[in-house]
Amino acid sequence: MDKEDLGMTELMIFAILYGILALIVCVRLYKGPSSVDRAVASDCVDSLTTVSLALFAVFSGRSIYLDISMTLAVLGFLGTVMISRYLEGKL
Amino acid sequence: MMDAVNISMAVRIIIDILLLIGFYFALAGVVGLLRMPDSYCRMQSSTNVATLGMLGALIAALVYSAVTGATGMAIKLGCLCVFNIITNPIASHAICKAAYKLGIRPKDKMVCDDYGEDQTDD
Repeated sequence: MDKEDLGMTELMIFAILYGILALIVCVRLYKGPSSVDRAVASDCVDSLTTVSLALFAVFSGRSIYLDISMTLAVLGFLGTVMISRYLEGKL
Repeated sequence: MMDAVNISMAVRIIIDILLLIGFYFALAGVVGLLRMPDSYCRMQSSTNVATLGMLGALIAALVYSAVTGATGMAIKLGCLCVFNIITNPIASHAICKAAYKLGIRPKDKMVCDDYGEDQTDD
């Protein structure tokens, strides 16, 4: 039983919980009154998915998921800045 | 292989506490994002997710990967933390300015509106 207990199961549990939080934020993404609310909610989904992928990468020991997570963080930041520039009317 | 995976109990407790702190802040931010009455209040609550909700879990993953000997993953996670700290104020400032330019105002009357006064000057 000790040999089974060595893995860090709670990393996977928290990765799933962060994924569930990202799904809950999609409610605000669906019914945001203005487009700014939708941009904020999509940024939030990006952050939560980044954390979930990083935790899964550390749990499974595969580095490819960490690369995907870093790319997702960069693209989420760029997307938020571009959307806000567009809403400002300067693009 | 078993020695590589085996970590001590104190480190495991530290990782669990960091994960719990991160998840608590992420949950508070998500609840605020769903329940706040105003657009600016929702922005302020989503910052809660983006700062400590991310950093708690990322630092926990960094500690775990540094203890188990995966140095490459630890360096990548550190880069992710630093990138997150640098880019979050920029994104928040840009989206808040966009909301003001778009004509969204708070529900009650604003107490202090320095940016609007600067706009009417020129």
